[in-house]
Amino acid sequence: MSDAPETTDVEDKRADQDALESRFQATPDIHDSWDASFIVTADVLRDALIALRDEFAYNVLIDITTIDYLSHAQHDGERFAVSYNLKSLSSGDRIRLKVWVSEEEAEIVSVHDVWKNANWLEREAWDQYGVSFIGHPNQKRLLNHIDFKGHPLRKDFPVRKRQELSVNDAMLDELEARLQGKGYAVLEQGSPAGVKA
Amino acid sequence: MSDETTAPASIPEELSQQFTNEGGFLATKLDTVINWGRSNSLWPFPFGTACCAIEFMGTVSSVFDLSRFGAELVRFSPRQADLLLVAGTITYKQAPILKQIYDQMCEPKWVVAIGACASSGGFYDCYCTVPGIDHIIPVDVYVAGCPPRPEAILESLVQIQNKIGDEKVSTTHVEASS
Ligand code: SF4
Repeated sequence: MSDAPETTDVEDKRADQDALESRFQATPDIHDSWDASFIVTADVLRDALIALRDEFAYNVLIDITTIDYLSHAQHDGERFAVSYNLKSLSSGDRIRLKVWVSEEEAEIVSVHDVWKNANWLEREAWDQYGVSFIGHPNQKRLLNHIDFKGHPLRKDFPVRKRQELSVNDAMLDELEARLQGKGYAVLEQGSPAGVKA
Repeated sequence: MSDETTAPASIPEELSQQFTNEGGFLATKLDTVINWGRSNSLWPFPFGTACCAIEFMGTVSSVFDLSRFGAELVRFSPRQADLLLVAGTITYKQAPILKQIYDQMCEPKWVVAIGACASSGGFYDCYCTVPGIDHIIPVDVYVAGCPPRPEAILESLVQIQNKIGDEKVSTTHVEASS
């Protein structure tokens, strides 16, 4: 990232957007008034994100989220869009990539290995919207209770639906992984007494 | 006990009437003595999850001073506390933790739901918020407000004290259901 070109003058500022359009067939999202917003297809998404990160110094992944267009008045097309919001700390620019995801498939490639924080952002997006991230190492619920059924931020999730959720999630799987990374041995998986120095 | 003719102010009337300097002893009911002790030495466990917990901090600190009511010994172990103060929004994910904390407290124990969220879910009418902690654990006193003023929290403490005063030592709060 250190050898990424400095984007200083106006022409340079367009370089990333030009590259997106020419190399990844991205189209500007005219409905989006954010700094810069482009629609790409799922198969080039990963390469486009890596190019933005490595060649154009977009070194911060601000957010990955999903948009549910169900019952949106001005929308006809796929039901979901997954959106990747990036920021460059050197130039201050922000850019957004959007990918359409159909209701039937509801899945997209994971980028957890491109940005570390994508791991949790993808878990959140899956938890709330039910869009699956292919290749994610640990796709489990992040915000909702582990026994929660459904994806509550989908537009067709019943607003008044309540569920009985009683299990206490000790989150031992993540704890154990961390402890193993620090040289502890896990004697009994999933047991609070199962870790030894 | 002592040979003072006037009893300390915090002693209930029932007790203080029986303070005399004749004979140096005191006859009273066990319930009265134990309840007097319990109500003036509550050990709170603050289960703070949101903005209401900030108001609890104000209640404990010097301006409002919870210790005037004998409840300043804030404990962060449920084993050592007998007053559970639930201050803040309880989500479904948080609910099993609250239940477990309550179960870990020894009898006798009392619960105050501080603020709209703990009492009813507040304005969070949604998939993730428990609509009132009384769905999970029994509640003795509800405090209205979003957040309640420290005076209201102190008021709830006094109500708990009054409630304790009415109790029999043999009373149990919770019975095993099976
Ligand atoms: S009742 Fe109001 S102040 Fe208290 S936790 Fe809920 S939102 Fe915050």
